[in-house]
Amino acid sequence: MTLNRTVLFYATALVGFILLPQLIAVKYYLHLSILALIWVIAAQGQNLIQGYTGYVSIVQAGFMGIGAYSTALMGIHFNLPVWLTIMLAPLITAFFALLTGYPSLRVKGHYFAIVTLAFNMVIFIVLMNFHQLTQGEAGITDIPKPGAEGGLFDWSQRETYYYFVLIIAVLMTGFAALIVRSRIGQTLVAIRQNEDLVGAVGIAAWKYKLFAFVISAMFGGLAGAIYAHYQSFINPEIFGVAQSLDAILAVIVGGSGTIAGPIIGAFFVVFLPEYLRFADSFRLILYGLVLVLATIFMPRGIVGLTTDLLARREQRKLGQRRK
Amino acid sequence: MVEVLQQIINGIAIGGVYVLIALGLTTVFGILGIAHFAHGSVSMFGGYLTFFFVTSWGFPLLLAILVALVVGLLLGVLIELLAYRPVRNANHINAFIVALGLTMMVEGLNLEFFGHEQVVIPTNLSRVFEVGGVTVPELRLYVIIAAALLILAMTLFVEKTKTGQAIRAVAENRDAAILMGVNVNTIPMVVFAISTALGVCAGVMVGSLFAIAPGIGEGLVVKGFAVLILGGLGSIPGAVVGGLVLGITEALAAGFISSAYKDVIAFVVMITVLLFRPQGLMGKS
Repeated sequence: MTLNRTVLFYATALVGFILLPQLIAVKYYLHLSILALIWVIAAQGQNLIQGYTGYVSIVQAGFMGIGAYSTALMGIHFNLPVWLTIMLAPLITAFFALLTGYPSLRVKGHYFAIVTLAFNMVIFIVLMNFHQLTQGEAGITDIPKPGAEGGLFDWSQRETYYYFVLIIAVLMTGFAALIVRSRIGQTLVAIRQNEDLVGAVGIAAWKYKLFAFVISAMFGGLAGAIYAHYQSFINPEIFGVAQSLDAILAVIVGGSGTIAGPIIGAFFVVFLPEYLRFADSFRLILYGLVLVLATIFMPRGIVGLTTDLLARREQRKLGQRRK
Repeated sequence: MVEVLQQIINGIAIGGVYVLIALGLTTVFGILGIAHFAHGSVSMFGGYLTFFFVTSWGFPLLLAILVALVVGLLLGVLIELLAYRPVRNANHINAFIVALGLTMMVEGLNLEFFGHEQVVIPTNLSRVFEVGGVTVPELRLYVIIAAALLILAMTLFVEKTKTGQAIRAVAENRDAAILMGVNVNTIPMVVFAISTALGVCAGVMVGSLFAIAPGIGEGLVVKGFAVLILGGLGSIPGAVVGGLVLGITEALAAGFISSAYKDVIAFVVMITVLLFRPQGLMGKS
């Protein structure tokens, strides 16, 4: 996409997102939009490690779980204010990411994917079985809303939460864009393209990979923390491997290695299963089929497909002018 | 000490199942570079199918397994042709996404056909042998023997037959294999057929030893990959060692530490091995 078109795209998208609550008649869709925005944050993080660095991590939902449980437990046990625990949650997630990233980044490709997947299973098992801390499958209830009642904002309204999540999603998308455009981001892309070469020119690739992994986990932790306060209830169910796969799908379907991709992809993974509800018990089969077909026929995601189509049209125009 | 031996025997039985899963995964990975994530769910499909033939159609167990094997062979070929072949030349991550989509489809089909109740394949093998205080259920013994025979057969097939040689050639150097007249279009189908058949055997073992239920397949395939990581990719001995280490660790952990955390402990062992030997226990550096 050319620069002008990119600016136009983001401006339109932003206006659309701001107006969205006014346009939605059914409250349930506003709820789904909030979930989708939370997934935008998680998917932007996933994109940093998967799309830009080329390491497919399957633990994003696990990190969301760590973020969600951290903020909830700190709020309940230490009585810390919500804004503080939401900010601390990504840091705690980062700590775990550092611990797990170091050994798992010693291997590459599919190995890395499987090791991170094992981490997700470990997180899930601990959340399920460490009853004293997490209350197991029953989960944690009554997680406080971000503001006190009668405060500046009315947190009982879905709209308030929508705009809160929108602001954070925009900020985090901007943050991701900054990282990608920085020298670090360039190095990450270089690692994806040719890791041996990066090493050969004297760059310690492992530091950059670890950085990307930890930052991506922080995005996940933040998304999880916001989710916990939005739903005011969490249990391990939604932090399993299946949800980590959703994060990967969001990146792939949207367009991996692009900033717009995870935004589109996040809405895709939240809304598609809802639309497939009509299929009832065939939903899982249909969802899988959509995935397989999308990967075969649209390997570079929705963003890749659109830019290809636009470029082709441009070329046709040029061709006509030449005639 | 008897207790430890007992758990080791249990671990060998579970480990044998892991080895079979891992063998299927490693041959597919070696030839096509695909992490065939749907393998676990496909294996469970085989287990379900055997259960169905035995309980609904009254087939004797061996016949049921045989029919399930044939269906497995065909399913493997279909998966290769319809799902993986179209993304053969694309980025490897695309094949992985296809694998995830396939997993969902197969899991969905399993639910649709066989429901979400857990099922156990009925066998009449209820005798229990006792050797020096260690009890070995008949079924567990047969599982170990069957797994050992299958591993041996697979090794002989890959090492001694013409087709096995072609498979190794394609894994080693695809272009050179084409020049030598190996048909690289049929080899992936053969590999998928064999790997799925091994998976079906593993599914039957899980179904008769423990139970089959939704989600078990995904756990199993992760264990299969863990075995590959532990043992080192592309080597059959590596898969055998990795599978036994994982199975025995798990059994000991379940017996002496905590059965809820047995998987956690198994993964910790895998990660520790990675820290010191990233190429796996038997892999070449």
